[in-house]
Amino acid sequence: MAIIGAFCVSVMKNACINAKMPGKCATCVEVCPYDVYALDAAGQVSVQNFNACVGCRICAEFCPGNAIRINSAEPEAFTRALWTFPTVEEIHYKALTGQYLLRGFGTMGPLPHFDSIVVVPSQIASPPPRDKYREECKVDVVIGEGRCENPIHLKYPVVFPAMSFGALSREAKLALAIAAAQLGIATNTGEGGLVPGENYFANGYADEARTDRRWEPGGYLVMQWSTGRWGVSVDYVRAGDAVEVKIGQGAKPGMGGHLLGKKVTEEIAAVRGIPVGSDALSPCRYYDVQAPDDIKRMVEFLRAVTDYKVPILMKLGPSRPYADVRACAEAGVDAISIDGAHGGTGASPDIVTQSVGIPTIACIPPAVRALKEMGLHRKVKLIALGGMRGGLDAFKALAMGADAVGFGSAAEIALGCRACMACQRGECVYGITSQDPRLRARLDPEEGARRLTNFVRVTVDEIKILTMLSGHADVRDLSEEDLRALDLNTAAITGLKLIGFERRLPWWDGAN
Amino acid sequence: MLAAATVLDVKDLDLREASAALKRAKNGGAIEICNTAHLHGFCAGLKEGEYVIVGDAGDYLGVLNDGATIRVNGNVGQYVGDNMTRGLIEVKGNATYGAGLYPYSGTLVIRGNAGDFTATMNKGATIIVCGDVGDEAATYHLAGDFIVVGNAGLNFGNYLIRGNLYLGGEFKTQGHNTIIEALTQEDVQKLQRLFEQFDIKADPTRFRKLITETAKPFYGRISKKHE
Repeated sequence: MAIIGAFCVSVMKNACINAKMPGKCATCVEVCPYDVYALDAAGQVSVQNFNACVGCRICAEFCPGNAIRINSAEPEAFTRALWTFPTVEEIHYKALTGQYLLRGFGTMGPLPHFDSIVVVPSQIASPPPRDKYREECKVDVVIGEGRCENPIHLKYPVVFPAMSFGALSREAKLALAIAAAQLGIATNTGEGGLVPGENYFANGYADEARTDRRWEPGGYLVMQWSTGRWGVSVDYVRAGDAVEVKIGQGAKPGMGGHLLGKKVTEEIAAVRGIPVGSDALSPCRYYDVQAPDDIKRMVEFLRAVTDYKVPILMKLGPSRPYADVRACAEAGVDAISIDGAHGGTGASPDIVTQSVGIPTIACIPPAVRALKEMGLHRKVKLIALGGMRGGLDAFKALAMGADAVGFGSAAEIALGCRACMACQRGECVYGITSQDPRLRARLDPEEGARRLTNFVRVTVDEIKILTMLSGHADVRDLSEEDLRALDLNTAAITGLKLIGFERRLPWWDGAN
Repeated sequence: MLAAATVLDVKDLDLREASAALKRAKNGGAIEICNTAHLHGFCAGLKEGEYVIVGDAGDYLGVLNDGATIRVNGNVGQYVGDNMTRGLIEVKGNATYGAGLYPYSGTLVIRGNAGDFTATMNKGATIIVCGDVGDEAATYHLAGDFIVVGNAGLNFGNYLIRGNLYLGGEFKTQGHNTIIEALTQEDVQKLQRLFEQFDIKADPTRFRKLITETAKPFYGRISKKHE
């Protein structure tokens, strides 16, 4: 039996043929089996019985002006149960095309995230708060200290994580590089090879000869080594300030990168060494890794190729953080990036981005535990990625034990993105994820860098405010004691003390 | 094989020590290196010079090779010539799993047999196996030439995107997205030239050539409606 009053019918008068020319069209009246629409003597159509609508949408399908919208009046879980409009649409799409859905921008919908954690200010029982306006707060982070000749000294505990040239436009990549230089932080090539200029821009120079010092204090470029090995050579590996071995990513753990052929222009094809217009599909695994020992050997030869000078990082997707982080640390890397399920600047099958991998807040505690058990916490740096929106999320990740955080989606938004979640189409109107020269012209790298720099500086200010009101003068002194879980679920996942209870849940007793 | 001018023994050295010793040994001539089987990732990222490895070599030999000539008298481990961009690697014996993965250019010659996934994701190199190759050879082959004088295993040329695969023997199964095409005069001349260059006894006219069926990728894509 149909549910009464469950749907809102709206007719957009500016598109409705009948509204403009009464009597010329009454398709909705003709096709509606429940008499939702009525036709008066003057030939005008009106919605007379909207409570009768059952949401079949036959009127919308047949409307020649595409003027009708049917929305659920209540949460669809009450009115249509499993068969929500998006579910029905998805099945129709698959039935019509024989293809699955691809999209960008990560998980949608409710997953545990930092919102269910609160910050605990310092008072009497803990060191007193520090004054944000009159006292200093240390926020710098060093990656590879004592482990390689040229460690990376991040001025702030922030990085721009891997987003490839191809997925992003040249202008967006250069904006990230310039911002990294202005902030003294690191950006990352991603798996699409090196954009000409990206390395010296990131170091603060405007020319390849490195004579024109344009941006202070200068940042760093991390060269990603990935499963597709697009644009990778010994010169590429040596062109940056660190090498990151990509194992997985939050948007599509267990799968390789997808760059749809539509975005593979001549420039991208040249950098990646693939035919123009063909999808660049990175393998889901390294063909040259069959066992954990191979990963160790890979790290060793990358150190040899770079003359033991630069840090080697590893990036993980959200799978089994405890075991995976242990394996990374055993391979001898200097830093581990762990990307939670909220990470998602990449195009991915909808089912994967939506339902594969564990949330960011569930990745950090096991990763920290693994490093602590190995005596490597704070030595091998942990970089938390995936759905970081600003200083509050970053602070919480740092207090949970991360050494730095990455802003991927937030960096895109800072560049001007409105999160329409269609990055894979290559038609980004802000020129961020498009390869169309007309659209790319809308993004000026220096203006983009200015926005990114503002965003990161404010974010770091927020981190400092929260660090100091927690009674600390250094982000490295933050701990889980500075946080509380708002609900049982979060306390159970993270090992944080539960508000009210003021203790960790019993099964966390004894854990690091 | 050329006579080596300098001899370097890397027995008991780890990769860092052996790489440093190799740098110090540079003298403009060929360098003969002994006892390298325990080293994985040896001769990585070399841009010039000639290196002769006496005996067997470990895994990842010549990874990221960018111009050096590396000759091996014995067998090599896994992933020889991984991600090569220039130069020549010549192996007298056999190679195991994953020989010639991800190369952009350069030449890899295996005189014996090679294992599974040989020449996978070749993006432009010339890879010659004088014996047989294992399964899944030339998977996702993007460019370049892969020549197998002997037989191939399962799914030869699986999901071939571009480039040419030449097979002197038989395959167990043909890879997806491949078709067999008759050799052209240019193909025969190319094979002849390579066989003469590397002293390979084979008749190029008896080879079969596999090319891509569609030159198109195989994943799902967005329809107009959802774009």
